[in-house]
Amino acid sequence: MVTRIPARVAMYAVLVFLLALWAYPIAVAVWKSISVGGWNNYNVVLHHPVFDYWRAIGNSFLLAGVSALVIMVISSLAGYAFSKMRFAGRNLLYGLLLACLAVPVAAVVTPLFFSVNSVGLRDTYIGVIVPLVAFNVLMMLLIMRNHFDTLPDELIEAAQLDGCGTLRIYWAVLLPLSGPALANVGVLSFVYSWNEYLLPNLLIASQDKFPVTQAISLLQDNRMSQEAISQLYAGLILMTIPSIVVYLIAQRFLQAGLTAGAVKS
Amino acid sequence: MGVGANRFKPYLYIAPVLLLSGVLLYYCVGFTAYASLTDWNGLRRMNFIGLENYLHLVEDPTFWTALKNNLIFMVATVAIQAALGLLVAVICAERLPGSTFFKAVFFLPIAMAPAIIATVFKYMLEANYGSLNESLRAIGLLGAGEVIQWLGKDLGVWSVIIINVFQWMGFSMMVYFGGLMAIPRELHEAAVIDGAGWWRRLFSIILPSLRGTTSVLIVLGIVGSLKTFDIVWLTTGGGPGVSNHFLSTFLYQARSDREAGYSSAIGMVILVIAFLLSLAQIKVSERRR
Repeated sequence: MVTRIPARVAMYAVLVFLLALWAYPIAVAVWKSISVGGWNNYNVVLHHPVFDYWRAIGNSFLLAGVSALVIMVISSLAGYAFSKMRFAGRNLLYGLLLACLAVPVAAVVTPLFFSVNSVGLRDTYIGVIVPLVAFNVLMMLLIMRNHFDTLPDELIEAAQLDGCGTLRIYWAVLLPLSGPALANVGVLSFVYSWNEYLLPNLLIASQDKFPVTQAISLLQDNRMSQEAISQLYAGLILMTIPSIVVYLIAQRFLQAGLTAGAVKS
Repeated sequence: MGVGANRFKPYLYIAPVLLLSGVLLYYCVGFTAYASLTDWNGLRRMNFIGLENYLHLVEDPTFWTALKNNLIFMVATVAIQAALGLLVAVICAERLPGSTFFKAVFFLPIAMAPAIIATVFKYMLEANYGSLNESLRAIGLLGAGEVIQWLGKDLGVWSVIIINVFQWMGFSMMVYFGGLMAIPRELHEAAVIDGAGWWRRLFSIILPSLRGTTSVLIVLGIVGSLKTFDIVWLTTGGGPGVSNHFLSTFLYQARSDREAGYSSAIGMVILVIAFLLSLAQIKVSERRR
């Protein structure tokens, strides 16, 4: 512990300086959003002819919510099997799956577009949810498996003696002990899917299906007047509010999930 | 130990992940590998042309520009984020009043969509009416008619680097903070008894014990740089010209230009680099155990 006053002052000075740098873009966004046209810009954006705020928020919630739910279910099922069951090819399959963690979406946009298009799912919600799940589930599988590895095998043996089947052990024994890990996975998947830009940009064409990341484009055109820029900033702030709410509610799980994925991989 | 009397049951549990993720991703990688050897334009049938796309690629100056930009981005973001993250983490570990607040603020941008942050920065960094140049003029760092082309040929990559640092510094900070908390208290106490001051402890205890954390952050940063797309596409868009392309935006541009075979060759380059780096990551994390 540093107790000397000058050292403390120096430390606060560093923190406040960095805070000012980090606050600058946020302050610019807020200031600019009212600089031309005042608070009315928010009103204009909420009643915009092409940009439908609630629709975009709803679309994002749908894409992120459904993919987070699917990921929680399938990553915990697979994590359970990889952690607690023995079967031929277990390590090989796990290794093959985790190797895909290295695949960036950007590297495979062409086959992704082609395959989603050829099964007729282009410009549908499900056509984005499937790749969102595919790319995000692997990190979550890693987190779930690492979590199940920390639960003692004696728990399962005791449940088996009581006559519990495989699915019942998952449901009644393991899941009740997995609250925080599942929350990490859920929050992280939700935020990743909410923030995804490339996949919807590649696969969704109709404006009424645009999630927020894609709907930003509806507030922009080639020649932006100062007024239009102010309205754009107002829209950006409105679209960030849900992320901030999620962050305030789930900050702990987001931090835990992100660092767990980083340190244990 | 073994749950599951039935031999096939375990496969049912892993089937959803295997089918949804494994099959789709391996299909995509295989497809990319094959398409990179053809003259496919995304529509008509493919003609096998061997390594022609790759030969074309090594002679394409844009490819080398993109590779160079990825490299600059990688080194700069990893170094800046690690340095600032470590600085803030070390200060916050002193448990000054208010340090929780600072940690929460620096971590907040991670929750925000990169597409939104990128758009805010794009208009903020615009040369003629952007707020940053205006602010610099207001405090006298920039003369009246002067502009800095933040998104221009020379500084575009650095603007993207700044955006990435803005978003991800808090992550390095949090990982370092976790590493700091894992250092046994006794080590500090013993050092204090031996008469070691704060700086001495920083260099003899804190920094050496964070070496593993740093190598994890380096590998994650390298892999992350290959995945970086939206903050480039939505700010410089790879331009002006092709000067600020990254491998990912170069690929996306080639795809939009209906050069699917060529873009697949770029994809293969990204995949090979990403795969090699992940092997390095596994080596690093094994050494830490």
